Amino acid sequence: MTALPPSISSRAARKSLSRERLSREQVEQFGAELDALRERTLADIGEQDARYIKRIYAAVRYTGALGRGLLFFGIFPPAWLLGTLLLGISKILENMELGHNVMHGQYDWMNDPRFDGKTYEWDIVGTGDNWRKTHNYSHHTYTNIKGMDDDVGYGVLRLFPEQRWRPFFLGQPLYAVIFALFFQWGVAIQDIRLGRYFAGRMTGAELREEFRPTGRKMRRQLLKDYVFFPLLAGPFFLPVLLGNLVANGLRNLWTFMIIFCGHFTANVEVFPKSIIKNETRGQWYLRQLRGSSNLTGSKLLHIMSGNLSHQIEHHLFPDIPARRYAEMSKEVRAICRRYGIFYNTGSLVSQFSQVIWRILRYSLPSKPVKLDGKMLMAD
Amino acid sequence: MPDTASVKTGALKRLIGPVIGPVIDPVAFDFWAAKVNPLLSWERPLARVVARQVAARDSVTLVLKPNRHVPPVQAGQHVPVTVEVDGVRLTRSYSPSSVGGKRGKGCLAITVKRIPGGRVSSHLCQNVRVGDVLELGEAFGEMTLRPEVPRWLYIAAGSGITPLMSLLRAQAAGQSRADVTLLYWARTRADLCFLDELRHLDSHQPGVRVHIILTREAALLPGEHSGRPDAALLTQLVPDLAERRVYACGTGGFVDSLRTLLADQVAGFDAEAFTLPERAAVAGAPVQVTLRRSGRVLDIPAGEALLPALEARGIHPKHGCRMGICNSCACDRISGTSENLNTGATQTEPGVVRICISAARSDMTLDL
Repeated sequence: MTALPPSISSRAARKSLSRERLSREQVEQFGAELDALRERTLADIGEQDARYIKRIYAAVRYTGALGRGLLFFGIFPPAWLLGTLLLGISKILENMELGHNVMHGQYDWMNDPRFDGKTYEWDIVGTGDNWRKTHNYSHHTYTNIKGMDDDVGYGVLRLFPEQRWRPFFLGQPLYAVIFALFFQWGVAIQDIRLGRYFAGRMTGAELREEFRPTGRKMRRQLLKDYVFFPLLAGPFFLPVLLGNLVANGLRNLWTFMIIFCGHFTANVEVFPKSIIKNETRGQWYLRQLRGSSNLTGSKLLHIMSGNLSHQIEHHLFPDIPARRYAEMSKEVRAICRRYGIFYNTGSLVSQFSQVIWRILRYSLPSKPVKLDGKMLMAD
Repeated sequence: MPDTASVKTGALKRLIGPVIGPVIDPVAFDFWAAKVNPLLSWERPLARVVARQVAARDSVTLVLKPNRHVPPVQAGQHVPVTVEVDGVRLTRSYSPSSVGGKRGKGCLAITVKRIPGGRVSSHLCQNVRVGDVLELGEAFGEMTLRPEVPRWLYIAAGSGITPLMSLLRAQAAGQSRADVTLLYWARTRADLCFLDELRHLDSHQPGVRVHIILTREAALLPGEHSGRPDAALLTQLVPDLAERRVYACGTGGFVDSLRTLLADQVAGFDAEAFTLPERAAVAGAPVQVTLRRSGRVLDIPAGEALLPALEARGIHPKHGCRMGICNSCACDRISGTSENLNTGATQTEPGVVRICISAARSDMTLDL
């Protein structure tokens, strides 16, 4: 392994390094170091992680109850504002730091049915089961592989020059805004893949059958937020309904922003299908790293993003409790520095600006970039 | 017997349950209910520790007040008790006996002997205090009261006394004239549980005889015996052996030797042995994998990844990445030892296992 050049922190040096590819052997050494970090961390998982996730659960319940309680007095604007904000925070915490992480099986070792990854059901219109399939499996296994990871543009956006341009994409700044506002609905129908129906590869009956669990979940969520709680408020039906609508919307915008910052910043890469042929553990790690980007910020940002601000660590270690990522990121960064691998991180403003730039830039035609034959290693 | 608070919520739940049941989130309900009373729960069987006393060296008796979801327990049965130790929920079975008297009405008592290195027994003996809440499961076990049997021989070794004590108490409380001889093996006098109660039964309860046998005590007191179970000792202590039906409880080795000695000599023989963790099978040795839901039983070589091994036998469990990251193939391992093929770590505690990167290292039951 080559020694680290002193100028590594400069932007130009990073750029040249990120283009300099590792040998096959180096990639495996890199993977072995990450495996060791993984084992070291797993050995320490225990009581404090259990206490943490229970506290997060309690925070979800308290903010939720307080928010809904305040919304009953939503006729007074300050109560409405605070109530809506608290309910939004509750939903964000539940979806991200609790639900998303629990469904990865990060807390399965607790043997606690409340935090069981394979049965957890979250507070959004999409079912946990669909999410486990599209996200835990497709997205995390085939991260940023065009044609395998549905999250690359979610079938409606062109975010990489490697995606073929069509006139449809001219409207994508608008689609992106709609998608962000209705993000939970996009997540809900992602696995149904309506495209197959419109392409005639699926009958109406099959579609209805596949949609049934999602339909049930949607009905339950809609009844809860737009019928049950508003009715409970009696004469204040409308402020409660509006508060719930806005809280859901806030959650949608926030999760959209965090998730897009994780995979669609300027230096993130996409890969061809051929890359997974005989992919080793080291190569898998490297692909995860090069397909993800982090956010720097306060502890509050990390918690409110479900620690997806450490998207890189999350993709390297999706089943390790997310509260550990901050600690692990120091070592991951050091390992990357030693191997001369670019570690993609930045502030929320900087990273999200890059996302917006991608959405705008690739709505327009660009010189096509070929993915064929792209490889991670030099040899 | 449930306490008054749970009676009230019980009635409330019966009233509103059918209406709000389908939309209630039991976990959220329990979260708020526990703020009112830690025993309140939508559906979980919980019990609060209401008394704690030392029963013998390294043994503690905990008196538990169950909530309304705890299913009934018969004398002689075992109940799974779940506690949280270092953030992990662990379950072990104990034999409760019902507690008499006004104050203890409806309560169950479990006596726990601390096993060196035993996480649950150490926790229950050393850390659990009055007021703590434990989770209970459904009772199981076949060694229960059988009024039609006229004469009994109970044989206990160590903490094997607990289910037999539960039966003796039930028989004494029922005023039945059951004729019971108890042989109680322990290492030393300090290891004996329930000694006063047993002496009292021996002298006051007609038909009950209690013999204490100590294997590691230097000097014996009058009435105590020594030695391991053998034909001479048994016929000396129980002259009418042939007319008695046997319930025995102890370690696997103890129960096996009794069975060899007694099975043909007595009117009937039932036994329960403590299960010890199985030794890991060497790689390649066949182990039996039982799939609980489908009821299938398969022979699979130890050390072979479970998912491909099951697929090769025509079973196709849910799965995803096949490399241990997506958790799609996670399923409950109900019993048995598994090995994580990525790390080599073995796991014996029941819990979740990812079958794509795990192998069986002993006979195993999976929730598939």
